[in-house]
Amino acid sequence: MTRFGYTLTILVGASLGVAACSDSIDEPQTTPPPGSTTGGTDTTFDHDNDSISVWDLIDRLTKEGPPSFSSQMHSCAKVRYATLGQVLTSVGVNLATVGTAAAPSAGDLYKTGASAYGASNYANRIRENIGITTSGASREFDIFAAGADQIIAAVPTLTRCQVGGVPAQLFSGATCLPEGITCLIGTPATPAHLESCTFSLTHATTPLAGQRIAVAALMAAAYTCE
Amino acid sequence: MKRISILLLAASSFAVLACSNDVTPTGDDDGTGSGSGPGSQDEWDTILTSRVTDYNAALRIASLRLNGDMPSATEIKQVASAPADGQRAAYETIIHDYLGRPAFAKEMFYFWRDTLKIGGTAAFDTAPAFAAKMVVENASYMDMFTKASNNCPTFSEANSVFTDAECANGGPKAGVLTNPGVMASFVSNLAFRRVRWVQETFDCLRFPAETGAPVDVGGAVPYTGAWPFTSIASPTNGGGRVNFQDVSSAICAGCHQTLNHIAPLFAYYDTAGLYKPAISVTVPLEGAPLAQLNDWLPPGDTTAWRYQKPAADLPALGAAMAADPDVAKCGVARVWNWALGKTDIVDTLQEVPAATIQTQIDAFTQNGYKMKDLIFAVYTSDNFVKF
Repeated sequence: MTRFGYTLTILVGASLGVAACSDSIDEPQTTPPPGSTTGGTDTTFDHDNDSISVWDLIDRLTKEGPPSFSSQMHSCAKVRYATLGQVLTSVGVNLATVGTAAAPSAGDLYKTGASAYGASNYANRIRENIGITTSGASREFDIFAAGADQIIAAVPTLTRCQVGGVPAQLFSGATCLPEGITCLIGTPATPAHLESCTFSLTHATTPLAGQRIAVAALMAAAYTCE
Repeated sequence: MKRISILLLAASSFAVLACSNDVTPTGDDDGTGSGSGPGSQDEWDTILTSRVTDYNAALRIASLRLNGDMPSATEIKQVASAPADGQRAAYETIIHDYLGRPAFAKEMFYFWRDTLKIGGTAAFDTAPAFAAKMVVENASYMDMFTKASNNCPTFSEANSVFTDAECANGGPKAGVLTNPGVMASFVSNLAFRRVRWVQETFDCLRFPAETGAPVDVGGAVPYTGAWPFTSIASPTNGGGRVNFQDVSSAICAGCHQTLNHIAPLFAYYDTAGLYKPAISVTVPLEGAPLAQLNDWLPPGDTTAWRYQKPAADLPALGAAMAADPDVAKCGVARVWNWALGKTDIVDTLQEVPAATIQTQIDAFTQNGYKMKDLIFAVYTSDNFVKF
């Protein structure tokens, strides 16, 4: 047996012996809480014990499969903070637009949402968290909802949405158009995309509300993860 | 089986055993599953083989990661409208184009900020800029440990331009290993945080990093290091002020066998990252006295990257790292995990078995450790384009 697997295998084994099939599985008591010393203050100096919980690891392996499998599969990583800003700009959101306290703009929500979105904190040697969190996804969806009007207005004017110089349109009356939707989500729009989009248009209280909902929902679905 | 996979095997074995009637397939991790029953490797293999190639989906992911934006409508159409046997070529043409764009330099800069866990200020951005420049220029990844000049470039996010610059912190030059921002950001007692950064960033493994035959040293569990137990200091072994041979709560030597042979090399940098003629890190004792060499190692023991891989100074350490196959594999694994959307390989134990990336490792090591070539290979690999 090699390297750090040795110690942690002991941890797993101990955990198995203590906790298998119990109704109340607690964290293994052999792992001191983060920030504490490895042993006691008389025997060791302060160590970082912020290692991954073996229980979290087991849970992940159960859900995602062994590394020989999961390493070959795409994960659902969050769109990075900087990339989200670029995507918003790219679909016509002006991040410099300032809203009000009651109705903040998409730019306001983006700029004040770095922490909620899990952006990096290099001063504390922390990289950006690319895992999806409730707070991050919520903030992202709010941004799309707040930016929907700007996106709807901008798409027909965006060069990146054009093919052969022909502008893309998002809507034609109560129908969603594939060219515009494709430009928003970054992949060819499928019949399911169009059906969902058109459903929003036809079931909202007003046509404009329907368009907002359709755009925000499509963006949220497309950018929950990369 | 080697390195961290042993933990994952143990954990996955537990996952199979633990009481659940409704788990998804679990299986083992080395292909030695028992066959077709629940939790067997066969079920995972079935899922893998049932994936289908989707260049449209691959293009979207690649564009977001390499280009920092969605693909344009024209690019989407180029791939989507290509005949089935022409989609791969259309996709690869666009990927090749992405790797030459200014936006790619910016994405690399951000990638290395996250990978190195440093950035945001002029001083802290030189290491990510160095690494990003290495990628953009398709230079050797081993420059990260061996390059002797222009190791503190700057990067303009506004126009994606790198500007060469020498590090101004004095001392030896060895890629990012001697970067002043890194030395300042990861300062600590006895330089251990700097060593941990090197270990986890470039070897993709938490300490302990070396193992050997179990030896009874009087603790609750044996010492399993590669180095002799007597190769690290203690009050009774060379007069060190910290008892690294303590076995009363944990076998300190398990990690410190390696840590203590590297740390003195990083001890000459002060809190600002400036190289000094004398050891400039402290010992965590009352009054925070400056460390002495015998706090890490007993007399006669010398610095090294690994057991029997001596490194007299930081350039020698960099050379030893560059020659270590595990360092190359770590570089490939980090690029792989980035492409496949995984979280940090060390922080969240997102191991990539060598078998998954052996093709890329072989090409990487045989073709001069060129990172841009590696990125192209990963983003056009079968696993990347299958869903």
